Amino acid sequence: MYVVRPVETGDIAALETLAAVTMPGVHTLPKTRDKIEQAVERSIASFAAQVDIPSEESYLFVLESLAERRIVGTAAIFASAGSNGTYFSFRNDVIQQVSRDLNICHNVHALTLCSELTAYSQLSSFYVDEALQHGPQAALLSRSRLLFAGQQPQRFGDRFFVPLAGVTDERGGSPFWDALGRKFFKMDFLDAERVIGGARNRTLIVELMPHYPVYVPLLPGDAQAAMGQIHPSGELAFNLLTAEGFEADEYIDIFDGGPILQAHKHALRTFTDARTLRVRTGDGQPVDGPLSNYAIANSAAPAFRAVTITCPDLEGCEAVALSPEVQDILRVVEGDSVTCVRI
Amino acid sequence: MLVVRAINENDLDALYSMATQVGTGMTTLKPDMKMLGDRLATACASFAETIPPEERDYMFVMEDVSNGRIAGVCAIKGAVGLTEPFYNYRIGTLVHSSRELNVFTKMDTLYLSNDLTGSSELCSLFLHPDYRQGHNGKLLSKSRFLFIAQFPHLFTQKIIAEMRGYQADDGSSPFYEGLGRHFFKMDFHHVDDLTALGKKSFIAELMPRQPLYIDYLPQEAQEVVGQVHKSTAPARRLLEQEGMHYEGYVDIFDAGPVLQARVSELRAIRDSDLATVALNTDMTHACAPANPEPTLVSNTILKDFRMIVTQATPVNGAIDLSTTDQQLLRCHAGDTVRTLPLNVRKNNV
Repeated sequence: MYVVRPVETGDIAALETLAAVTMPGVHTLPKTRDKIEQAVERSIASFAAQVDIPSEESYLFVLESLAERRIVGTAAIFASAGSNGTYFSFRNDVIQQVSRDLNICHNVHALTLCSELTAYSQLSSFYVDEALQHGPQAALLSRSRLLFAGQQPQRFGDRFFVPLAGVTDERGGSPFWDALGRKFFKMDFLDAERVIGGARNRTLIVELMPHYPVYVPLLPGDAQAAMGQIHPSGELAFNLLTAEGFEADEYIDIFDGGPILQAHKHALRTFTDARTLRVRTGDGQPVDGPLSNYAIANSAAPAFRAVTITCPDLEGCEAVALSPEVQDILRVVEGDSVTCVRI
Repeated sequence: MLVVRAINENDLDALYSMATQVGTGMTTLKPDMKMLGDRLATACASFAETIPPEERDYMFVMEDVSNGRIAGVCAIKGAVGLTEPFYNYRIGTLVHSSRELNVFTKMDTLYLSNDLTGSSELCSLFLHPDYRQGHNGKLLSKSRFLFIAQFPHLFTQKIIAEMRGYQADDGSSPFYEGLGRHFFKMDFHHVDDLTALGKKSFIAELMPRQPLYIDYLPQEAQEVVGQVHKSTAPARRLLEQEGMHYEGYVDIFDAGPVLQARVSELRAIRDSDLATVALNTDMTHACAPANPEPTLVSNTILKDFRMIVTQATPVNGAIDLSTTDQQLLRCHAGDTVRTLPLNVRKNNV
């Protein structure tokens, strides 16, 4: 069994090990022991906090293999992107150019530095062990954040976005950065990410990034080609998120040109399809008919737990049968409510 | 014998054949009989002062009086941009700096502007290849300054000249290929023709309106910003000697520089003098300097303005012009003429 739960102080060592092996392209996972400790503390405080208006909370979830007692994945959600600053991104604009005299009408693609994603809730730090990439656990981990958000709407914005790492070459260079950010920052892509710590809310972005639209046709071909393209490491996240209802194309990252997926919560399957059902104890007997994977979460905020189960279609049901083992993991008993969504 | 003179109604055919020689890149002199006819009519009305000063277009031709050929042409427009917008890029500076990162980046930026609206413009200079020798180019180009010095009240404070921008050997403009083509989606020469025809509304419609960082342009395009066409380099030098200078305005298509000056700062305004045509006497000849410098001399009549370059040099307010010179200028002993040393005096540079 695998469970998704809020990070605990006991996970710090495990996270440190993970941080050492995660691939390039994931810039949002803290790397040093200090940073990891801070992130964990912040998450614990966030889960414990009474929240009316989303602010600087950041919730870090881990995927734990109960059999191995091992952390095999992480996923985070920031309550409000930019956290009291401004979250910067490039918006894909289309400038229509029409000349009646010449009978010319064409569209010019431009990138405009914008702060529209500020105060959206931001999903980040998604990482899952390679062995689990194709199983339901990856989907569970990605979705748990949204299940939690669905249970606790006051803690989050109405809109969500996820920046995915853009393409880089084998030396960690980014063609998009080379054509754009480098001209202003005068440093290598990875150096820039290091000094800024993966953040997109720093004053120095306003100070350094272009104030005026960047006309895409003027960028070199490789930079244009990199716009909105994901780093191969982000493919799983991209697929999970687009299946969830997130849409790419409108925004890209200001550093590497990677896609920023975004959606209103009403467009996300976890929000629209999640059902609250009562728990009953299953008899463990095999059932006939088609089976589906479901993510099941308790609704006990600081002690949030989510697992996957395989069961018949729950459409129209009022209760879901959970084995005593699963009830234990979720810390629920018969008669409690759980949130279910098909994976 | 060459004389630069105000154009007149009889010069249309000669002007047309001159225009066929010009080639691309000069938008104001296209071989189009209708356009040239209109322009000539405006020029004649300008010298006759029948239209307001800002609409005037003073055209001059250089005539070889020995055979009646027209050897060159040049013009001064009273004001630009008052009926149709006059666009340039202004090269400005944007500084992007972060104390925190210790990064300081100075970016040259192109701003689409109409800043030069209302300036008087030197334009349409063309010298026939057969006449590209001796002082001819200087005479043709500098004659306009003498005209301005004689009639400064006809011009605005600021005078500009658009220089043809850099072109590669195949006639393409690296700046246009790097920028304009993305927005106009047509050939440089086609765009050039459209501007010549006065169909300029498309510029506002199709050009990017937001400032552009020059660093985004391809290297070849960046390199030619403010650079003149090879064949225009001498013309640029001449204008610079007369007090005009590049202040960071360039053409929006080929990035050729715009030279500009305040009229009051032109060498011709500061250094030209009126002189009386001396009587043809031995005394006069004896007083002439031993080592005369070539001098631009013009008459002072607007309607029939004429200029020559001569070896006669004014002394004490009088100039000993030969009979031929007087005939070229259509003036006589006792008339007033305006004189200006053709070359910049070394110690004045």
